[in-house]
Amino acid sequence: MKRMFTCAVIVLYMTAFGLSYVSYEQREVTVSDQSRILPMHVKQIQAATSTSDLTDWIRQFAAKQQHVSIAGLQHSQGGQTYLPGATVLDMKSYNRILRYEPKQRRITVQSGVTWADIQQKIQPDRLAIKVMQSQNIFTVGGALSVNVHGRDIRYGSLLDTVDSFRLLTADGTILNVSRSENNALFHLVPGGYGLFGIILDVTLQLTQDEWYQQQTIALSYEDYPAYFRKHVLGNDAVRMHIGRISVAPDGFFRDMYLTNYLRSSRTVPIEDEPLKQETIIALPKALLGLSRYSDFGKNQLWSFQKSYFLNQTGTDESRNNVMRSDSAFMEYTNPGRTELLQEYFIPVDAFVPYINRIRSILTQDDLNVLNITIRYVEQDETAALSYAKQDMFALVWLIHTKTDPASLAKTKRVIQKLIDATLDADGSYYLPYYPFATRQQFNRAYPHATAFKAAKKQYDPHAVFLNQFYIDYFQ
Amino acid sequence: MNYPLFLRVQSIVLMSSSVIFPFYLLLIRELGDSYAQFGLAYGLFTVTSAFAYLAIGRFSDRFGDRVLLVVHTLGMALLLLYIPVVTAISHVYFIQIAMGLLGAIQKNTEKTVLARQEIATAVVGRHIGGYHFKTSLWSAGGIILAGYLIDFLTIGSLFYIISVCYFYATLRLLLPSATGQKK
Repeated sequence: MKRMFTCAVIVLYMTAFGLSYVSYEQREVTVSDQSRILPMHVKQIQAATSTSDLTDWIRQFAAKQQHVSIAGLQHSQGGQTYLPGATVLDMKSYNRILRYEPKQRRITVQSGVTWADIQQKIQPDRLAIKVMQSQNIFTVGGALSVNVHGRDIRYGSLLDTVDSFRLLTADGTILNVSRSENNALFHLVPGGYGLFGIILDVTLQLTQDEWYQQQTIALSYEDYPAYFRKHVLGNDAVRMHIGRISVAPDGFFRDMYLTNYLRSSRTVPIEDEPLKQETIIALPKALLGLSRYSDFGKNQLWSFQKSYFLNQTGTDESRNNVMRSDSAFMEYTNPGRTELLQEYFIPVDAFVPYINRIRSILTQDDLNVLNITIRYVEQDETAALSYAKQDMFALVWLIHTKTDPASLAKTKRVIQKLIDATLDADGSYYLPYYPFATRQQFNRAYPHATAFKAAKKQYDPHAVFLNQFYIDYFQ
Repeated sequence: MNYPLFLRVQSIVLMSSSVIFPFYLLLIRELGDSYAQFGLAYGLFTVTSAFAYLAIGRFSDRFGDRVLLVVHTLGMALLLLYIPVVTAISHVYFIQIAMGLLGAIQKNTEKTVLARQEIATAVVGRHIGGYHFKTSLWSAGGIILAGYLIDFLTIGSLFYIISVCYFYATLRLLLPSATGQKK
């Protein structure tokens, strides 16, 4: 009797085990970007480590007519790195530095390599990256796919600093892409959001590491465009630049301060300057936390940051260190709330009336804006989906929002108004962020989208490479 | 029930629960989207335990501790097969209720077995200390090993492995010949 019972228990357990395992194998995986508001069920996540694996996989997916989305660190928030039911290729482990030629100031890296990895490698040889984001946590493949820009004002866009890259295309072949070879793809893949193939490796131009002296000045927004043309663009010693405009109630969209990085006469050997590490983040984190929830906090954060940067005037920093700005204090993981980015590009001359209009929109409508930084992008229409139709100021917004449907809908309404204001000023908006823009707004900002779509159909007729962003705005 | 068997089973049980606990917490955090849901999930666990103790106490006096330990180990073995496939917070609530029940069975039985040992009052402290020493050592070993293993395993497979551990404990309880002794 007891033996029968034991046997029954064993059979029961083995059946349950089998059932569980089968459904575990068949389950879908939920992925989300860093903002966590667009989670989706994907088929699977596959980590890429070798070129031959990637080639095999793409051939298999193409044969089975399955879709693939490509992911790096997933800071793109508009569904660029995944699609329901698709396979997500995680490129983070595809991260070897393939060739480094310090004399030629050139480096070839696999696309999962981060800027931090490159900085580590090249800093001892007095070299630095030409163009990248202000933070160094991103992968090179991801950065190229969204065609980033940063604080540098002299080297153009990231694409301008790329010599060539290799692309694994939808039929499994590998193409060399450069200004002279497969030139059409050279314009489509950067800022192509992973829709034309997998960027395998990239050859980047480097520049020399230099000492920069920081110079921070406070001014009113009305004086910014003239100041910028004369003292920033007009002064060849200024190599990098970043501005901030107040979102605190005390100087709401009026007060600004700007930091210029000027070539310094410092002679201390720059290769001895250690790469800075993120240090104590408790204070900025606490202030940012306070500013999420109160006007008092916003005023405090603004005056703290402003006096901090004003005090830094005169200090020297290496180019490499300017290009590894802190980011850990901004990480935010409270369930039910998130922090979103938006970025609007405005022609330099349209800046003042634009800010006036933004101020009046935000006086009427509530939006919890934590921070706006301003960079400069030169006109550059190399990328098919280019945002730099003229010389532009790029305003990067950090916005706090709750993630329940009602709050998101409210945020969406206000952001659509901001996008309208931006487009009316002949500006455009950046695509890697949460897709608040309407289809109409998208078409207005990106008139070449039709040509982009036609090219997509030509290079990848069965849409092996597909993501939610493409579905939202092209289909 | 015989003490060496009890000690072995408890060692497996405590080791297994310590290994999965941190990963189970991760899972709840992934599925829930507010601290309120997190609190509710834990509240359910505790409330279920509280009421379960009343019945379990009586049950153990009537049917014996071994039966309850079988219910605990088999229940956990089956429940752990469910955890890797949950997809919604409501499933987590169910698991928390089941775990509240099974956890109460384990805790209560641990104490009743120890209390039923015929030990001179003068050395009870040393005896209980020795029991905790042995079982804690197993837990520690399991946790440290899991830390290394998790680099090579998915979290899903860890749940399956621990489920097998619980089932092994069930079999030890059901097949007393393995210890060479009967109650």
